[in-house]
Amino acid sequence: MPKHKPKRGTPLIDMTAMTDVAFLLLTFFMLTAKMKPQENLVIDTPASISQTKLPESGTLTILVGKKGEIFLDMTGQHTRLELINSMNEQYQMGLTEQEKLLFTNVGSFGVPRSQLKKYLNTMPSERTKFPATGIPVDTVDVNQSELANWIHNARLAQFKMKQEGKVKEEYVMVVKADKDTPYPAVQKVINTLVDININKFNLITGLEADPNKLEGVKKEGGG
Amino acid sequence: MAEIAQEGGGGHKKGGKVRSKKMSTRIDFTPMVDLGFLLITFFMLTTTLAKPQVMALVMPEKDIKKEDIEPVKESKVLTLLLGANDKVYWYEGITDAKLDSTDYSAEGLRKVILNKMDKVKGQFGLEDYEDFKTKEPKKGSFINVIIKPTAESRYKNLVDALDEMAICKVRYYVILDVSDLEKEFIKNPAGGLKFNVEEQIQAATQ
Repeated sequence: MPKHKPKRGTPLIDMTAMTDVAFLLLTFFMLTAKMKPQENLVIDTPASISQTKLPESGTLTILVGKKGEIFLDMTGQHTRLELINSMNEQYQMGLTEQEKLLFTNVGSFGVPRSQLKKYLNTMPSERTKFPATGIPVDTVDVNQSELANWIHNARLAQFKMKQEGKVKEEYVMVVKADKDTPYPAVQKVINTLVDININKFNLITGLEADPNKLEGVKKEGGG
Repeated sequence: MAEIAQEGGGGHKKGGKVRSKKMSTRIDFTPMVDLGFLLITFFMLTTTLAKPQVMALVMPEKDIKKEDIEPVKESKVLTLLLGANDKVYWYEGITDAKLDSTDYSAEGLRKVILNKMDKVKGQFGLEDYEDFKTKEPKKGSFINVIIKPTAESRYKNLVDALDEMAICKVRYYVILDVSDLEKEFIKNPAGGLKFNVEEQIQAATQ
Protein backbone atom coordinates (compact mmCIF):
# COMPACT_ATOMS: atom_id res chain seq x y z
CA MET A 1 0.00 0.00 0.00
CA PRO A 2 1.45 3.34 -0.91
CA LYS A 3 0.34 4.73 2.48
CA HIS A 4 2.67 2.40 4.43
CA LYS A 5 5.73 3.04 2.28
CA PRO A 6 6.60 6.59 3.47
CA LYS A 7 7.50 5.17 6.90
CA ARG A 8 10.79 3.80 5.73
CA GLY A 9 11.15 5.33 2.29
CA THR A 10 11.02 9.12 2.84
CA PRO A 11 13.70 10.58 5.15
CA LEU A 12 12.55 10.94 8.74
CA ILE A 13 12.58 14.30 10.52
CA ASP A 14 16.01 15.17 11.79
CA MET A 15 15.68 14.50 15.54
CA THR A 16 18.96 16.14 16.52
CA ALA A 17 17.37 19.46 17.36
CA MET A 18 14.77 17.78 19.51
CA THR A 19 17.37 15.85 21.51
CA ASP A 20 19.26 19.11 22.00
CA VAL A 21 16.20 20.77 23.49
CA ALA A 22 15.41 17.72 25.57
CA PHE A 23 18.85 17.60 27.12
CA LEU A 24 18.91 21.35 27.64
CA LEU A 25 15.69 21.17 29.62
CA LEU A 26 16.98 18.17 31.49
CA THR A 27 20.16 19.96 32.52
CA PHE A 28 18.12 22.97 33.58
CA PHE A 29 15.92 20.93 35.86
CA MET A 30 18.84 18.99 37.26
CA LEU A 31 20.58 22.22 38.19
CA THR A 32 17.52 23.96 39.62
CA ALA A 33 16.82 20.94 41.76
CA LYS A 34 20.27 21.21 43.29
CA MET A 35 19.94 24.85 44.18
CA LYS A 36 19.02 24.05 47.78
CA PRO A 37 21.91 24.70 50.16
CA GLN A 38 23.79 21.68 51.37
CA GLU A 39 22.15 20.05 54.36
CA ASN A 40 24.63 20.13 57.19
CA LEU A 41 22.21 18.44 59.50
CA VAL A 42 20.27 15.38 58.47
CA ILE A 43 16.73 15.65 59.76
CA ASP A 44 13.98 13.08 59.39
CA THR A 45 10.75 14.94 60.10
CA PRO A 46 7.71 13.23 61.60
CA ALA A 47 4.61 12.82 59.46
CA SER A 48 1.30 14.57 59.81
CA ILE A 49 -1.88 14.94 57.81
CA SER A 50 -1.33 18.67 57.39
CA GLN A 51 -1.18 19.73 53.76
CA THR A 52 -0.30 23.40 54.09
CA LYS A 53 2.80 24.16 52.08
CA LEU A 54 5.83 26.05 53.26
CA PRO A 55 6.09 29.55 51.81
CA GLU A 56 8.98 29.72 49.34
CA SER A 57 10.70 32.83 50.56
CA GLY A 58 10.87 34.82 53.74
CA THR A 59 11.41 31.95 56.17
CA LEU A 60 13.60 31.65 59.20
CA THR A 61 14.17 27.99 59.97
CA ILE A 62 15.30 26.60 63.28
CA LEU A 63 16.63 23.10 62.76
CA VAL A 64 16.91 20.73 65.69
CA GLY A 65 18.92 17.58 65.23
CA LYS A 66 18.59 14.16 66.79
CA LYS A 67 20.80 15.04 69.71
CA GLY A 68 19.18 18.40 70.26
CA GLU A 69 21.74 20.54 68.46
CA ILE A 70 20.23 23.72 67.07
CA PHE A 71 20.98 25.14 63.64
CA LEU A 72 19.65 28.31 62.12
CA ASP A 73 18.91 29.20 58.52
CA MET A 74 17.24 32.19 56.94
CA THR A 75 16.37 33.16 53.38
CA GLY A 76 17.23 36.35 51.62
CA GLN A 77 20.77 37.45 50.87
CA HIS A 78 20.07 41.12 51.64
CA THR A 79 18.66 40.20 55.02
CA ARG A 80 21.56 37.89 55.79
CA LEU A 81 24.03 40.63 55.04
CA GLU A 82 22.13 43.13 57.16
CA LEU A 83 21.91 40.55 59.94
CA ILE A 84 25.61 39.72 59.99
CA ASN A 85 26.46 43.41 59.92
CA SER A 86 24.29 44.18 62.93
CA MET A 87 25.47 41.08 64.83
CA ASN A 88 29.07 41.96 64.07
CA GLU A 89 28.61 45.45 65.46
CA GLN A 90 26.60 44.44 68.49
CA TYR A 91 28.81 41.62 69.64
CA GLN A 92 32.20 42.69 68.29
CA MET A 93 32.70 39.54 66.31
CA GLY A 94 35.53 41.02 64.24
CA LEU A 95 34.37 39.75 60.87
CA THR A 96 35.91 40.95 57.64
CA GLU A 97 33.84 42.04 54.65
CA GLN A 98 34.71 38.81 52.90
CA GLU A 99 33.54 36.72 55.84
CA LYS A 100 30.29 38.64 55.93
CA LEU A 101 29.74 37.83 52.27
CA LEU A 102 30.49 34.17 52.99
CA PHE A 103 27.78 34.26 55.64
CA THR A 104 25.18 35.25 53.06
CA ASN A 105 25.78 32.00 51.20
CA VAL A 106 26.53 29.52 53.94
CA GLY A 107 23.01 28.14 54.38
CA SER A 108 22.29 26.70 57.78
CA PHE A 109 24.84 27.11 60.57
CA GLY A 110 25.03 25.69 64.07
CA VAL A 111 28.03 27.09 65.85
CA PRO A 112 28.39 29.40 68.83
CA ARG A 113 29.09 33.02 68.00
CA SER A 114 32.71 32.67 69.08
CA GLN A 115 33.29 29.97 66.49
CA LEU A 116 31.43 31.55 63.61
CA LYS A 117 34.52 33.25 62.19
CA LYS A 118 36.35 29.95 62.05
CA TYR A 119 33.36 28.19 60.57
CA LEU A 120 33.00 30.72 57.78
CA ASN A 121 36.64 30.32 56.87
CA THR A 122 36.51 26.55 56.45
CA MET A 123 36.12 25.22 52.95
CA PRO A 124 32.58 24.10 52.07
CA SER A 125 33.80 20.55 51.63
CA GLU A 126 35.30 20.58 55.13
CA ARG A 127 32.28 22.14 56.79
CA THR A 128 30.50 18.85 57.43
CA LYS A 129 33.44 17.79 59.56
CA PHE A 130 33.39 20.98 61.63
CA PRO A 131 32.27 20.13 65.16
CA ALA A 132 28.77 21.54 65.02
CA THR A 133 27.63 21.72 68.59
CA GLY A 134 24.71 23.92 67.74
CA ILE A 135 23.75 27.42 68.75
CA PRO A 136 23.65 27.77 72.51
CA VAL A 137 20.33 28.47 74.15
CA ASP A 138 20.15 30.15 77.53
CA THR A 139 16.91 29.32 79.22
CA VAL A 140 17.47 31.48 82.25
CA ASP A 141 18.10 34.88 80.71
CA VAL A 142 16.69 35.31 77.23
CA ASN A 143 18.90 38.34 76.61
CA GLN A 144 21.98 36.16 76.97
CA SER A 145 20.59 33.41 74.81
CA GLU A 146 22.50 33.33 71.53
CA LEU A 147 19.59 31.72 69.74
CA ALA A 148 17.25 34.48 70.88
CA ASN A 149 19.76 37.12 69.78
CA TRP A 150 20.10 35.64 66.32
CA ILE A 151 16.34 35.29 65.80
CA HIS A 152 15.54 38.72 67.16
CA ASN A 153 18.16 40.42 65.00
CA ALA A 154 17.13 38.41 61.97
CA ARG A 155 13.56 39.62 62.35
CA LEU A 156 14.75 43.18 62.68
CA ALA A 157 16.94 42.79 59.61
CA GLN A 158 14.07 41.39 57.56
CA PHE A 159 11.80 44.17 58.75
CA LYS A 160 14.39 46.73 57.69
CA MET A 161 14.70 45.11 54.27
CA LYS A 162 10.93 45.21 53.94
CA GLN A 163 10.94 48.91 54.69
CA GLU A 164 13.63 49.40 52.07
CA GLY A 165 11.47 47.47 49.64
CA LYS A 166 13.96 44.66 49.08
CA VAL A 167 11.68 41.97 50.42
CA LYS A 168 7.92 41.70 50.46
CA GLU A 169 7.09 39.84 53.66
CA GLU A 170 8.34 39.56 57.18
CA TYR A 171 9.84 36.30 58.31
CA VAL A 172 7.70 33.23 58.82
CA MET A 173 9.07 31.16 61.68
CA VAL A 174 9.69 27.54 60.88
CA VAL A 175 10.84 24.75 63.17
CA LYS A 176 12.28 21.63 61.62
CA ALA A 177 13.06 18.91 64.10
CA ASP A 178 13.87 15.25 63.80
CA LYS A 179 11.26 12.79 64.93
CA ASP A 180 13.64 11.34 67.50
CA THR A 181 14.68 14.67 68.95
CA PRO A 182 14.06 14.55 72.69
CA TYR A 183 11.22 16.86 73.59
CA PRO A 184 13.22 19.05 76.01
CA ALA A 185 15.35 20.31 73.10
CA VAL A 186 12.26 21.36 71.17
CA GLN A 187 10.77 22.79 74.34
CA LYS A 188 13.81 25.06 74.72
CA VAL A 189 13.31 26.36 71.20
CA ILE A 190 9.58 26.95 71.70
CA ASN A 191 10.18 28.69 75.03
CA THR A 192 12.84 30.91 73.46
CA LEU A 193 10.40 31.90 70.73
CA VAL A 194 7.61 32.64 73.17
CA ASP A 195 10.01 34.67 75.31
CA ILE A 196 10.78 36.96 72.38
CA ASN A 197 7.08 37.26 71.62
CA ILE A 198 6.86 34.88 68.70
CA ASN A 199 3.71 32.84 69.25
CA LYS A 200 2.95 31.59 65.77
CA PHE A 201 5.26 29.21 64.02
CA ASN A 202 5.18 26.29 61.65
CA LEU A 203 6.47 22.80 62.19
CA ILE A 204 7.79 20.99 59.15
CA THR A 205 6.26 17.56 58.73
CA GLY A 206 6.18 14.84 56.15
CA LEU A 207 2.89 13.99 54.52
CA GLU A 208 0.69 11.10 55.55
CA ALA A 209 -2.82 10.17 54.58
CA ASP A 210 -5.78 11.65 56.43
CA PRO A 211 -7.64 8.70 58.00
CA ASN A 212 -10.96 10.59 57.80
CA LYS A 213 -10.64 10.84 54.06
CA LEU A 214 -9.54 7.23 53.76
CA GLU A 215 -12.61 6.08 55.66
CA GLY A 216 -14.81 8.19 53.45
CA VAL A 217 -13.38 6.53 50.39
CA LYS A 218 -13.83 3.09 51.91
CA LYS A 219 -17.45 3.81 52.78
CA GLU A 220 -18.16 5.06 49.30
CA GLY A 221 -16.49 2.03 47.83
CA GLY A 222 -18.45 -0.37 50.03
CA GLY A 223 -21.81 1.39 49.63
CA MET B 1 35.70 6.05 -15.81
CA ALA B 2 38.28 3.42 -15.93
CA GLU B 3 40.10 5.09 -13.11
CA ILE B 4 36.98 5.40 -11.18
CA ALA B 5 36.22 1.81 -11.88
CA GLN B 6 39.75 0.90 -10.84
CA GLU B 7 39.53 2.87 -7.70
CA GLY B 8 36.26 1.35 -7.12
CA GLY B 9 37.91 -1.94 -7.66
CA GLY B 10 41.10 -1.07 -5.80
CA GLY B 11 39.40 0.36 -2.81
CA HIS B 12 36.92 -2.39 -2.74
CA LYS B 13 38.17 -3.81 0.51
CA LYS B 14 38.01 -0.45 2.19
CA GLY B 15 34.97 0.50 0.16
CA GLY B 16 33.06 -2.39 1.56
CA LYS B 17 33.82 -1.27 5.14
CA VAL B 18 33.31 2.40 4.35
CA ARG B 19 29.99 1.69 2.83
CA SER B 20 28.71 -0.21 5.84
CA LYS B 21 29.98 2.56 8.15
CA LYS B 22 28.06 5.14 6.16
CA MET B 23 24.97 3.05 6.37
CA SER B 24 25.15 2.68 10.15
CA THR B 25 25.45 6.43 10.81
CA ARG B 26 21.72 6.74 10.31
CA ILE B 27 20.79 6.13 13.95
CA ASP B 28 17.17 6.57 14.82
CA PHE B 29 17.11 9.18 17.61
CA THR B 30 13.58 8.54 18.80
CA PRO B 31 14.40 6.39 21.85
CA MET B 32 16.96 8.92 22.98
CA VAL B 33 14.39 11.70 22.88
CA ASP B 34 11.99 9.45 24.76
CA LEU B 35 14.56 8.91 27.47
CA GLY B 36 15.34 12.60 27.59
CA PHE B 37 11.74 13.57 28.14
CA LEU B 38 11.24 10.84 30.68
CA LEU B 39 14.11 12.19 32.72
CA ILE B 40 12.81 15.73 32.40
CA THR B 41 9.40 14.70 33.67
CA PHE B 42 11.06 12.87 36.53
CA PHE B 43 13.04 15.90 37.61
CA MET B 44 10.10 18.24 37.15
CA LEU B 45 8.03 16.13 39.47
CA THR B 46 10.71 15.56 42.08
CA THR B 47 11.40 19.27 42.50
CA THR B 48 7.78 19.97 43.29
CA LEU B 49 7.62 17.05 45.70
CA ALA B 50 10.56 18.44 47.62
CA LYS B 51 8.49 21.28 49.10
CA PRO B 52 7.82 20.31 52.68
CA GLN B 53 4.47 20.41 54.40
CA VAL B 54 4.01 22.46 57.55
CA MET B 55 1.76 22.27 60.57
CA ALA B 56 0.92 25.59 62.17
CA LEU B 57 1.28 25.92 65.91
CA VAL B 58 0.12 28.80 68.06
CA MET B 59 1.34 29.08 71.63
CA PRO B 60 -0.26 31.22 74.31
CA GLU B 61 1.54 34.44 75.17
CA LYS B 62 4.05 34.36 77.96
CA ASP B 63 2.40 36.78 80.36
CA ILE B 64 -1.17 35.66 80.70
CA LYS B 65 -2.99 37.27 83.58
CA LYS B 66 -5.28 35.26 85.81
CA GLU B 67 -8.24 37.37 84.79
CA ASP B 68 -7.77 36.45 81.15
CA ILE B 69 -8.06 32.72 81.70
CA GLU B 70 -11.55 31.47 80.94
CA PRO B 71 -12.78 28.88 83.39
CA VAL B 72 -13.56 25.58 81.77
CA LYS B 73 -15.89 22.87 82.97
CA GLU B 74 -13.80 20.18 84.56
CA SER B 75 -15.71 17.35 82.92
CA LYS B 76 -14.81 18.63 79.48
CA VAL B 77 -11.10 18.44 80.09
CA LEU B 78 -8.89 15.63 78.84
CA THR B 79 -5.24 15.75 79.81
CA LEU B 80 -2.66 13.86 77.80
CA LEU B 81 0.75 13.21 79.30
CA LEU B 82 3.17 12.19 76.55
CA GLY B 83 5.53 9.70 78.09
CA ALA B 84 8.58 7.70 77.16
CA ASN B 85 8.63 4.92 74.58
CA ASP B 86 5.66 6.32 72.64
CA LYS B 87 3.22 5.88 75.50
CA VAL B 88 0.43 8.31 76.26
CA TYR B 89 -0.95 8.59 79.78
CA TRP B 90 -4.27 10.30 80.06
CA TYR B 91 -6.83 11.31 82.63
CA GLU B 92 -10.09 13.21 82.62
CA GLY B 93 -10.84 16.28 84.64
CA ILE B 94 -9.10 16.98 87.91
CA THR B 95 -11.06 15.43 90.78
CA ASP B 96 -10.78 11.65 91.20
CA ALA B 97 -8.66 11.39 88.12
CA LYS B 98 -7.70 7.90 87.10
CA LEU B 99 -4.60 7.43 85.04
CA ASP B 100 -4.79 5.25 81.96
CA SER B 101 -2.31 4.71 79.21
CA THR B 102 -2.54 4.13 75.51
CA ASP B 103 -0.45 4.43 72.37
CA TYR B 104 -0.55 6.53 69.22
CA SER B 105 -2.32 4.06 66.99
CA ALA B 106 -5.80 4.61 65.59
CA GLU B 107 -7.20 2.25 68.21
CA GLY B 108 -5.38 4.01 70.98
CA LEU B 109 -5.26 7.77 71.34
CA ARG B 110 -7.85 8.48 68.69
CA LYS B 111 -10.39 6.23 70.39
CA VAL B 112 -9.73 7.90 73.72
CA ILE B 113 -10.34 11.34 72.24
CA LEU B 114 -13.43 10.28 70.32
CA ASN B 115 -14.86 8.54 73.37
CA LYS B 116 -14.35 11.67 75.40
CA MET B 117 -16.06 13.74 72.73
CA ASP B 118 -19.03 11.36 72.76
CA LYS B 119 -19.18 11.51 76.55
CA VAL B 120 -19.21 15.30 76.56
CA LYS B 121 -21.81 15.32 73.83
CA GLY B 122 -23.98 13.06 75.94
CA GLN B 123 -23.56 15.26 78.98
CA PHE B 124 -23.78 18.72 77.49
CA GLY B 125 -25.47 18.22 74.18
CA LEU B 126 -24.69 20.41 71.25
CA GLU B 127 -23.55 23.98 71.70
CA ASP B 128 -23.71 26.95 69.42
CA TYR B 129 -20.59 28.15 67.78
CA GLU B 130 -19.56 30.10 64.73
CA ASP B 131 -17.74 28.39 61.92
CA PHE B 132 -14.29 29.95 61.42
CA LYS B 133 -14.55 30.43 57.70
CA THR B 134 -18.22 30.73 56.89
CA LYS B 135 -19.29 32.51 60.10
CA GLU B 136 -22.52 30.58 60.09
CA PRO B 137 -23.91 29.44 63.42
CA LYS B 138 -23.48 25.73 63.97
CA LYS B 139 -23.96 23.23 66.70
CA GLY B 140 -21.29 20.95 68.04
CA SER B 141 -19.80 19.48 71.16
CA PHE B 142 -16.33 20.39 72.30
CA ILE B 143 -13.70 19.10 74.63
CA ASN B 144 -10.63 20.84 75.95
CA VAL B 145 -7.43 18.91 75.58
CA ILE B 146 -4.28 19.69 77.51
CA ILE B 147 -1.16 18.20 75.97
CA LYS B 148 1.74 17.89 78.37
CA PRO B 149 4.84 16.31 76.91
CA THR B 150 7.24 14.89 79.47
CA ALA B 151 10.99 15.14 79.25
CA GLU B 152 11.19 11.51 78.16
CA SER B 153 9.01 11.95 75.09
CA ARG B 154 10.33 12.68 71.65
CA TYR B 155 9.31 15.28 69.10
CA LYS B 156 7.39 12.76 67.03
CA ASN B 157 5.07 12.21 70.01
CA LEU B 158 4.16 15.88 70.10
CA VAL B 159 3.53 16.01 66.36
CA ASP B 160 1.40 12.87 66.54
CA ALA B 161 -0.65 14.33 69.39
CA LEU B 162 -1.18 17.56 67.45
CA ASP B 163 -2.08 15.50 64.41
CA GLU B 164 -4.78 13.70 66.40
CA MET B 165 -6.18 17.11 67.33
CA ALA B 166 -6.55 17.85 63.64
CA ILE B 167 -7.92 14.41 62.75
CA CYS B 168 -10.51 14.41 65.54
CA LYS B 169 -11.24 18.08 64.93
CA VAL B 170 -10.57 19.15 68.50
CA ARG B 171 -10.90 22.92 68.57
CA TYR B 172 -9.50 23.77 71.97
CA TYR B 173 -6.12 22.43 72.98
CA VAL B 174 -3.04 23.80 74.67
CA ILE B 175 0.49 22.63 75.19
CA LEU B 176 1.64 23.05 78.76
CA ASP B 177 4.54 21.89 80.92
CA VAL B 178 4.21 18.78 83.03
CA SER B 179 3.89 19.57 86.70
CA ASP B 180 5.71 17.68 89.45
CA LEU B 181 2.37 16.37 90.71
CA GLU B 182 1.75 14.74 87.39
CA LYS B 183 5.22 13.24 87.28
CA GLU B 184 4.40 11.61 90.62
CA PHE B 185 1.04 10.54 89.29
CA ILE B 186 2.64 8.68 86.42
CA LYS B 187 4.97 6.85 88.75
CA ASN B 188 2.21 6.12 91.25
CA PRO B 189 -1.18 6.09 89.55
CA ALA B 190 -2.91 4.57 92.52
CA GLY B 191 -1.91 7.54 94.65
CA GLY B 192 -4.36 9.75 92.81
CA LEU B 193 -3.84 13.28 91.63
CA LYS B 194 -4.02 15.83 94.41
CA PHE B 195 -4.69 18.83 92.33
CA ASN B 196 -5.37 22.22 93.66
CA VAL B 197 -7.04 24.40 91.07
CA GLU B 198 -5.23 27.49 92.34
CA GLU B 199 -1.86 25.81 91.91
CA GLN B 200 -2.82 24.74 88.42
CA ILE B 201 -3.62 28.30 87.41
CA GLN B 202 -0.44 29.55 89.05
CA ALA B 203 1.59 27.01 87.15
CA ALA B 204 0.00 28.11 83.90
CA THR B 205 0.53 31.81 84.49
CA GLN B 206 4.15 31.55 85.62
